[in-house]
Amino acid sequence: MVRLAIPFVVLALAVALAVVSDHPRPRADFVFINRGDVTTLDLQRMSWQQDLRAARLIFQGLVRSDIFTPNFEPTPGVAERWESSADGLEWVFHLRSDAKWSNGEPVKPSDFVFSWRRGLLPDLASDYFNFFAFIRGGREFFDWRNDALARYAERPSGERTQDAADALWDQTVARFDELVAVRADDTARTLRITLANRCPFFLDVMAFPCLYPVYPPLVRQYERPDPSTGRLIAEHGWTKPPLLVSNGPYVVAEWRFKRHMWLEQNPHYWDRRSLALRTIMMPTIDDPSAQVLAFQTGAVDYVTETTPAYRGDMLAEKLAFYDEHRAEYESLRAQGLDQFEIDRRLPDDPRAHIHAVPAFGTYFYNFNCRETLPDGRDNPFKDRRVRLAFALMIDKASIVNNVRRLTERVAHSLVPPGSIAGYTPPAGIPCISDYAEGSPERAGLIERARGLLAEAGYPDPSRFPGVEILFNKDAGHDLVAQAIARNWQEFLGVPVVLTMKEIKVFKDDLQNHNFMTSRASWFADYGDPTTFLDLNRIGDGNNDRDYQNPAYDALLDRAAATLDPGARLALLAQAEAMVIEQDVPLVPLFHDVTLMLFNAHEISGISPHPRNEDNIYLVDVLTDGLGTNVARTMPIAPPVSPPVSTPVAPPAATPPHAEPIR
Amino acid sequence: MIAMIVRRLLQMPIILLVIYTTTLTLSWAIPGNPLQRAEGRRPAPEVAQAMLAQYNLDNYWTFYWSYLDSVTGVKHARQTLDGSRQRRDQTSIDQGQAPPQRYVFDMGPSLQYRDQRVNEVVAASLPVSVTLGALAILLALIGGVVAGVVGAIRPNGLADVSTLIVALVGISLPSFVTGTVLLVVFCVWMKILPIAQWGGLRDMILPALTLALPFAAYIARLTRMGMIEQLGADYIRTARAKGVGEWSIRLRHALKNAFLPVLSYLGPAAAYAMTGSFVVERVFNVPGMGQHFVNAVQNKDLFLIMGVVLVYATMLILFNLAVDVMYRWIDPRIEQ
Repeated sequence: MVRLAIPFVVLALAVALAVVSDHPRPRADFVFINRGDVTTLDLQRMSWQQDLRAARLIFQGLVRSDIFTPNFEPTPGVAERWESSADGLEWVFHLRSDAKWSNGEPVKPSDFVFSWRRGLLPDLASDYFNFFAFIRGGREFFDWRNDALARYAERPSGERTQDAADALWDQTVARFDELVAVRADDTARTLRITLANRCPFFLDVMAFPCLYPVYPPLVRQYERPDPSTGRLIAEHGWTKPPLLVSNGPYVVAEWRFKRHMWLEQNPHYWDRRSLALRTIMMPTIDDPSAQVLAFQTGAVDYVTETTPAYRGDMLAEKLAFYDEHRAEYESLRAQGLDQFEIDRRLPDDPRAHIHAVPAFGTYFYNFNCRETLPDGRDNPFKDRRVRLAFALMIDKASIVNNVRRLTERVAHSLVPPGSIAGYTPPAGIPCISDYAEGSPERAGLIERARGLLAEAGYPDPSRFPGVEILFNKDAGHDLVAQAIARNWQEFLGVPVVLTMKEIKVFKDDLQNHNFMTSRASWFADYGDPTTFLDLNRIGDGNNDRDYQNPAYDALLDRAAATLDPGARLALLAQAEAMVIEQDVPLVPLFHDVTLMLFNAHEISGISPHPRNEDNIYLVDVLTDGLGTNVARTMPIAPPVSPPVSTPVAPPAATPPHAEPIR
Repeated sequence: MIAMIVRRLLQMPIILLVIYTTTLTLSWAIPGNPLQRAEGRRPAPEVAQAMLAQYNLDNYWTFYWSYLDSVTGVKHARQTLDGSRQRRDQTSIDQGQAPPQRYVFDMGPSLQYRDQRVNEVVAASLPVSVTLGALAILLALIGGVVAGVVGAIRPNGLADVSTLIVALVGISLPSFVTGTVLLVVFCVWMKILPIAQWGGLRDMILPALTLALPFAAYIARLTRMGMIEQLGADYIRTARAKGVGEWSIRLRHALKNAFLPVLSYLGPAAAYAMTGSFVVERVFNVPGMGQHFVNAVQNKDLFLIMGVVLVYATMLILFNLAVDVMYRWIDPRIEQ
């Protein structure tokens, strides 16, 4: 009998031990779900939204963007002031004397140089290498290092020793100082940068987390030249507490994998007085429904991106809530308040806790521009006329209103209208849903599309080679693909094949140009049209379409060399028109929205700006007695003249020409 | 007994090597580039190629041997013996920094969770799964054995039929149904248990119950069958004739023998429960190891796939061994 009890006792002891040894933390001042797990805190290697959001909390760059201004005004960060030469090529940043690392050491200008060198090393495969290449000599250094590594790899194995690898590394460091035009003066606390080209959005780039500094004495321990390849092997052990040293408003006190990241104020942060939160927790909750439940039960204050299958219904309920308060809502809108402030002034209602915010991104369809497909088949989409015909025949409005149902805006351009101050994207080409059913214009458009196909050598559309639509599973891409397939079958009469693949295989196919048409999206990195337009350059790593038009590249180059901001943007608009109106390697479908969950009556500091950037250190829980407890808002926008039928307000920065969301 | 343990432990590396080879071959065949990421920006092609080479992902056999080298601890031993590890650590110490942590059995970096090594992923998730699994097995044992004993008192009586029905439901219902129902009832409607948290005993109740239900059902049926069989045996009649009390007969005599089939079931059951269940972890947001089996394959995270498979295989072998040892200890007749 006693022996029988052994398994019970052992199991009970194991559970008891686990429970006792685990110390759950109390609730933090602010709990938010950061989209997904943070994948890396290595600044120079990150590119995922959740990583960038965490990095803005934990590190700080030379400048910060004020996310509550329409233009994302640069404000001082580690640099207290800066000046630039008249031609915009020379920049001098003066670092504040009280900028400190979380261990109390001062942040030095040379820390930036160390970090940017990491960004420019091919060894680290930085996703945002092009940002570092804005600095004069950056690209040359990258190429030099690549060559040097290739030459090293050709040496006989006997010569590839640790000493040889170390020597190559010393040579690389010297070469960097020689080639790359960034000079740090640690005593004067200045950083001098010369740019390769004029870059009107340079301060915007400086506010991007990949250009924030890492702590060199720590990071160096995890990097060593590998004798067999000569490459610098960079390991990640330093990104976790208690080792991690950072210079941002908050420090990572605890990072429990798949459980949470716990942040506390950085005791050495220079602007600590501005912080309204003592502690921040980012729990890991993967399941979208569980995220919503956690929010509804009050365990979570903010969900940065909510994606349950029923999100369309949640949004519909919010619209119903607005309908109940129609008069008040319209009057608040007429005052030019931002959409969160409107919610804040309407009665507190759980239905109003979901927010649809225009995102700085566009969902589009790729057309492969290559002559042949990788398997040797002829590619009908090499012909501009074919691409145009297919692009005209997409019922974008139906996709937005019936398939997506997330109050997205139909897109005619790649750059979302109103997202970049001073830039007006071209009008783009029409699509079938621009004209009412049965109207002569609509019939004319169909006629035109069929005519284009005939011109391209396909007078009988039913004999058109089967059109393949490539998309990845999840996130409703299948529904969009089905809708488009139906359009093409109905209006053009061509056979369509749907190909669904796992995300990695999908991405591989895109990279290898192994598709005819595919779904795609692009989210911008900085406030300039080039963040969208560069991906159509010849040879760009993200030019999945393999669109090659030297005239397009020449236009972008001319824009880069143009000093007058207005003329420059006009050139860029011309380039965009070349892509979306003339050559049509892609067809924009809609501009994405981000769906957030938070109660505007309780939380302030989240910006409705369409650039969709979070600086969580600005967050203030309005009901907790900490911080100012005054809501941050966008400046009052000029009154929106005709009352738009949809209640989801365009952001304050949206000029009146922006089309209504529905 | 000692000979048996030694023999089984000696078999272990061979079994693990076979599992390693099979799993790696299958995972290698999954289409897609392991370093291709679901989102974010793409590095230049030559950089991407170099990254593949850095992780030995460009050649099956290089990967096969280099992974084996580090996961078995051979590499660690080699670096310790030739002093290169100590020299590197000394450089760090000279610069006033703590030397990076090195693992003896290094399972490599996770490609998906870029800041974690597979050792860290396992270290973070395995204890969670073991705790949850232990609690679930404990609940299943208590619930299953009690139900089985009670049911066997009067076969086909009311108590027996109702426990059998519960057992049938427990085995048939998939855990995403039971889990979701429990979640809605206790967390959403009654609001007496927390949602999507992990740490305290309160957070473990629902996932453990969900996980325990099928095990409890199976254990109940095993116990009931064993008890009915034992209660009809001769030694029970003898005990009754001696005047031993009925409950004493049931618990001290019959259950002891009826429990043996339950015990042999416990080995694989415990290994299964303690390495995590994808569904239960997903529904209750448990940071356990089950999710990695699925996610790692979907992401073709080769290091993580190999890590979790090897850990699971090792646990399965050790649990079966433990059960066999206990078996012999409870019922010494098996030894002969």
